[in-house]
Amino acid sequence: MSSATLRPRAPGAAGAVVVLAVLFGGALAGAGWRSLQPGSIVRDQAPSLDAWRALLRDDAFWDALRFTLGYTAVATLLSAAAALVLAGALRRAGRRARMLAAAPVPVPHLVAATIAVVWLAPGGLAERVLGSLALDVIGDRSGVGIVLVYVYKEVPFLTLLVLAAWTPGVSEREEAAAVLGAGHAARLRHVVWPSVRTALAIGSLVVAAFLLGALEVPLVVGPTRPTALAQYALDATRTAEPLGQAQAAAALLVAAGLATLLALALAKLMGRADG
Amino acid sequence: MAEPAERVRGRRLLVAMLALAALLPVLTLAVRAFADVWRAPALLPQELGLRGLRYAVSAGAGVPQAALNSIVIALLATSAALVLGWPAARALAAASPRVRRALMIAIALPLLVPQFAAGAGLAEWFIRLGISDTLLAVATAHLIYTLPYVVVVLAGAFSSELLELEEAAATAGAGPLQRLMLVSLPASRGALAIAAAMALVVSWSQYGTTLAVGGATTTLPVMLVPFAQSDPQIAATLSLLFLAPVLIALGALTRVLRP
Repeated sequence: MSSATLRPRAPGAAGAVVVLAVLFGGALAGAGWRSLQPGSIVRDQAPSLDAWRALLRDDAFWDALRFTLGYTAVATLLSAAAALVLAGALRRAGRRARMLAAAPVPVPHLVAATIAVVWLAPGGLAERVLGSLALDVIGDRSGVGIVLVYVYKEVPFLTLLVLAAWTPGVSEREEAAAVLGAGHAARLRHVVWPSVRTALAIGSLVVAAFLLGALEVPLVVGPTRPTALAQYALDATRTAEPLGQAQAAAALLVAAGLATLLALALAKLMGRADG
Repeated sequence: MAEPAERVRGRRLLVAMLALAALLPVLTLAVRAFADVWRAPALLPQELGLRGLRYAVSAGAGVPQAALNSIVIALLATSAALVLGWPAARALAAASPRVRRALMIAIALPLLVPQFAAGAGLAEWFIRLGISDTLLAVATAHLIYTLPYVVVVLAGAFSSELLELEEAAATAGAGPLQRLMLVSLPASRGALAIAAAMALVVSWSQYGTTLAVGGATTTLPVMLVPFAQSDPQIAATLSLLFLAPVLIALGALTRVLRP
């Protein structure tokens, strides 16, 4: 047998790509079709934009959109900033410190949200230890509880990405810059930041795309109004309104559209990173 | 040159804080799960007990069935992802950088779609196919999220050295099955273990997709949400059950990857 016949070729990826295209495309097509079918879920009828009109007229939808974009942006930016600081502290630390820093990564978001309730709910452990909390974190209308849970979960993930980019070569360049008289801030700005920013930006986009559509954390620690976008859709599926299912699908398509925009930005960034 | 004492102290403080952040949450769950009475403002439980555990194992609550569903779904979604992901990862490893990037983006794109959105869209078709509310439907929906992780992890294992080893085995007369069993699988054991562990954890943790597709098919995360605010003891017990396989998978992974 010639060696050339053993070499895998691109069609080897066809199975995975086709399955994902069918599932991904099917999911979006299914949601799209449902959003145009405001009546029965069983029997198809003439497509109608009624659900989209109702969605765009609904104040609760716009509140949910603003709320979701707000906590997504705040949690992502805070996580990115904290990851940069933590990676700086960890870059010369040993394997044990890095493993401890990575420990929250596999903890499911739902478990992190449950722990947040035990600590931060009224009468929770934080209040017992500190005497009182300055604000109600769980169910807070500005989304403080949601942001805290996401920061706890996403900082370790982003830190790992930054550490992977903060190679020994970068540290050597930092030392060379220090020898040449560059201060701490100048080294961070001109040596470290250009080396780690792509990894941090890619990671942050992945985090933001996930946060935009995630449901369980807002459901457990978020307020009842405004709701997260995915929670708005879930509530819509549970109403007796004839438009409910279609309106939920339309809201989910908005979330998917926003995530797709982030995915395009991600693809562009990855292309730039590969040169 | 000895390290300055201040830096050593700083590093110890950092490790202590990281250990606290890593261990305190799990410890909190363990104590809360066995605290039958723990009224504010007491810092320690007034009465320890097994109310949470009794609920979890009671036949009427449905927790054992939910856990079994979670296990079956995670195994199905992981097996399918490994079978489909293996050839895809091999192809990615041998592709040119341009093709590799295009394929990688195509495979990773579904990861960014909100889980509840993907689940709700797929539910539309599963209802028409008559398979909604089944474990198979939920596992198929989870594949959107397990398959990309498996491909990305396995792609790193297929180096040119492995392909050369396979070629050498072929030259020595080994058939496709022998090459797979004697060369490819042992050489990529570590990456396979990581890919399988990641896929299991990803499927095990799915909430939005399962809720949208599963309907009456309950899994542990679906069961946990209503208790998270209403009954912290049962929520903590279910969280420990939910967390246990994740920790077991990590432990097994550490063993497999040990040199």
